[in-house]
Amino acid sequence: MDFSLNQEQEMFREYVRKYLTDMEQTKVARDYTENKIEHVKAVLSELHELGCTQLNIPEKYGGMGLGKLDLVPIMEEMGRAIVPGLYLETSAFAVPIIEQFGTDEQKATYLPQVANGEASFTIAWLEPGRSYKQQGIQMSARLNGDVLVINGVKTQVPDVELAEYFIVPVLIDDEITLVIMDKKSSGITLREQKGFDETRKLTEVTFENVEVPMNQRIGAIGEGWSIIQEGLLSYNAALSSVAVGALEHIVEMASEYATIREQFGNPIGRFQAIKHRLVDMKLDLETARSLSYYANWALETSSEDRIEAICSARIFAIQAFIRTSAHNIQIHGGIGFTEEIDCHLFVKRARFYENYLGNMEQYYEQAITALNWEQTETAQEKETILSTN
Amino acid sequence: MDFSYTAQEEQFRMELRTWLEENLPEGWLDGTFKMPEEQAAYGQFLRDWQKKPSDGRWAAIAWPAKHGGRDATLMEEIIYHQEMVRVKAPPLVNYVGLHMVGPTLMQIGTPEQQEKYIPKILSGEEVWCQGYSEPNAGSDLAAVQTTAVKDGDKWIINGQKIWTSYAHFGDRCFLVARTSKGEKKHHGITCFLLDMKQPGVEVRPIIQMDGEHDFNEVYFNDAIAYDSEVIGQVDDGWRVTIALLMHERTGIGAQVFSLEQQFDGLVGLAQTVKEDDVPIIQKADVRKRMLDLYIKSRGSLLNYYRNLTKQLKVGHPGVEGSMDKLFVSEVTKELFAEAISLQGHQGLLWKDDAVYGNSYWQKNYLYSFGQTIGGGTSEIQKNTIAERILGLPKDVGR
Ligand SMILES: Cc1cc2nc3c(=O)[nH]c(=O)nc-3n(C[C@H](O)[C@H](O)[C@H](O)COP(=O)(O)OP(=O)(O)OC[C@H]3O[C@@H](n4cnc5c(N)ncnc54)[C@H](O)[C@@H]3O)c2cc1C
Repeated sequence: MDFSLNQEQEMFREYVRKYLTDMEQTKVARDYTENKIEHVKAVLSELHELGCTQLNIPEKYGGMGLGKLDLVPIMEEMGRAIVPGLYLETSAFAVPIIEQFGTDEQKATYLPQVANGEASFTIAWLEPGRSYKQQGIQMSARLNGDVLVINGVKTQVPDVELAEYFIVPVLIDDEITLVIMDKKSSGITLREQKGFDETRKLTEVTFENVEVPMNQRIGAIGEGWSIIQEGLLSYNAALSSVAVGALEHIVEMASEYATIREQFGNPIGRFQAIKHRLVDMKLDLETARSLSYYANWALETSSEDRIEAICSARIFAIQAFIRTSAHNIQIHGGIGFTEEIDCHLFVKRARFYENYLGNMEQYYEQAITALNWEQTETAQEKETILSTN
Repeated sequence: MDFSYTAQEEQFRMELRTWLEENLPEGWLDGTFKMPEEQAAYGQFLRDWQKKPSDGRWAAIAWPAKHGGRDATLMEEIIYHQEMVRVKAPPLVNYVGLHMVGPTLMQIGTPEQQEKYIPKILSGEEVWCQGYSEPNAGSDLAAVQTTAVKDGDKWIINGQKIWTSYAHFGDRCFLVARTSKGEKKHHGITCFLLDMKQPGVEVRPIIQMDGEHDFNEVYFNDAIAYDSEVIGQVDDGWRVTIALLMHERTGIGAQVFSLEQQFDGLVGLAQTVKEDDVPIIQKADVRKRMLDLYIKSRGSLLNYYRNLTKQLKVGHPGVEGSMDKLFVSEVTKELFAEAISLQGHQGLLWKDDAVYGNSYWQKNYLYSFGQTIGGGTSEIQKNTIAERILGLPKDVGR
């Protein structure tokens, strides 16, 4: 039995943490909200130099050939500092699906670019007034010889400014199909949207007769949805780690504040209303961490229970993130309600994730379906096991 | 990460499994066995049962071999918990003796004490109880008022204990008493290995909210303890008290695995319970609530595994045990509360009229209220976690 990250993984964490600490942790996120894009890009490129983007890319494409679990510490560190950008979308969504479903040519084109720190992917999925469910995808593409012609609008596409490519689900002959599109393709117009999590910038993307060669399609026509599902498994496992990192930071920041802030002649951490709330936050953190480690393990080993493990980790970690970031403000009192300190950044980021690439209800249903509770054959047996004695 | 068991560990599991199959009471595994209803017969059943694992060296596997244990590794203990939970083995009546008093004696007791008490703890010949709580000293354990006054080579004990589990079966009591009034309430406490079968000790039953009788009030009227029955130093009993409480945490594993089993049972229940002919598992909100519980019970199991890994690495249990105890007892309580809700109005019937699970859910629902109180309340666990893990300042009065 060994339920922990190994030494190398922990060491990698230390490098990333040290670097982000030198960069003053959440300062990168604040720079991004103030549109200091060049600063942000410089930090992202340093993170690349540290190995973050190469890590899970096969060696023959210029990467380090490591596994999903090796991403965990990086994801946690990204979450701690709520690093802006498309690390998750690129390393935990685009890379795994290109690796699994892409053609040799696509792999040879895109994977080295990611490994070299030259390319990031964003996901242009959501459409105005629609959901992240299967039926939410309505934008269609017309086949014209070897070329797809795309028209329509995608909304709330994150961090377009930092992306080179879009991954876009479209309908071809009414079937969901996934294409990779160069951001610079002609016919694309961008309109900035205002989101309250300013550490993620959102954009409405309009496609007007955008032409994409057929060989930019990932997988066959009609396979898009199942490819997305695979991509989401690795995305959500990684997302749960990002949330864990954020939770860890929040618990530390709140505990520290509770030991220094005094009222009624005592540190507020002596009052149980504060103390016990902090313990609840700590339990949330540790439980999220256990679930998320397990989810990533289940992903890496293709374990049978990976779907419920990953959905559970996402659901719990994001809910804990929402709860805990809210408690953090309360513990900080008035100062917590200001823009000055970090509390609000975490609340906003938690809410960003709540409904990003699927909502709670969908993940509940997905986990429940995977658990197969409605099949009642074993019911009687299960219940009698307990009721004897 | 590695969730596998070594060949040696699997062999240990098989050995235990085989032993259980051969030694569990007749009819236990197929569910035809009925527990004796009457108290004395029940007590005898428990004592008879404990004799078996003790003879087979399966009663206290973590103990050193020279004391009748198996020097079990931590992993073997885990496997032991899993297997015991799997077959829902009868409880060991001498739980306090095996898990708390025995290890404390090995740690702090004199060679004579070890020789005198340990073998009888193992065989179940002497059942122990734990005399800590008093009417005015519960969470604030150091506020004990039961007194022990020196008289030659004897101590004269007067006072009252409460909530003493299994005192009615008890032959001996690990008793905490005040021997002097120090400046601090932690000073002047002494621990005794008291003989319960003497005229000065009176045990009165307390009936719990689940209708059962596990715990008691215990009155001491000039009860007598001998010098040889003092464990540790006179007036320095607080240290001994804490040592014993550290051993109390070892039961968490069993609770975590039970929780997993109970969750499976809950799924079965939700599939069986029907409302106007429709199984309630088909309701979306039922499934959602079930998933929340699934996540939490998986979470407590995985938290436990993670702490265990840490223990395997550092070689001793840490304060994280408090987190496990807090979480698993709270989730257990939620689980049984849910089981009552899910049954709707039918959940309010029990005993002969129970509709589902032979009262299992009703009994455990009521019993679960004790789990967040006994062994230190959730609030006290939270104080410990806040202070020892999060580094927050000490609570007032501590
Ligand atoms: C099933 C069961 C078995 C038991 N078996 C034994 C046994 O064998 N031997 C034995 O000695 N005892 C036993 N106990 C007693 C148990 O240890 C005590 O009940 C427990 O420590 C709480 O003490 P109390 O009942 O006096 O409650 P109190 O200490 O009076 O607590 C009442 C409430 O106040 C809260 N509270 C108290 N102090 C604080 C604080 N500082 N901060 C915040 N909240 C606080 C508590 O959390 C609780 O909610 C058992 C109890 C149960 C339920």
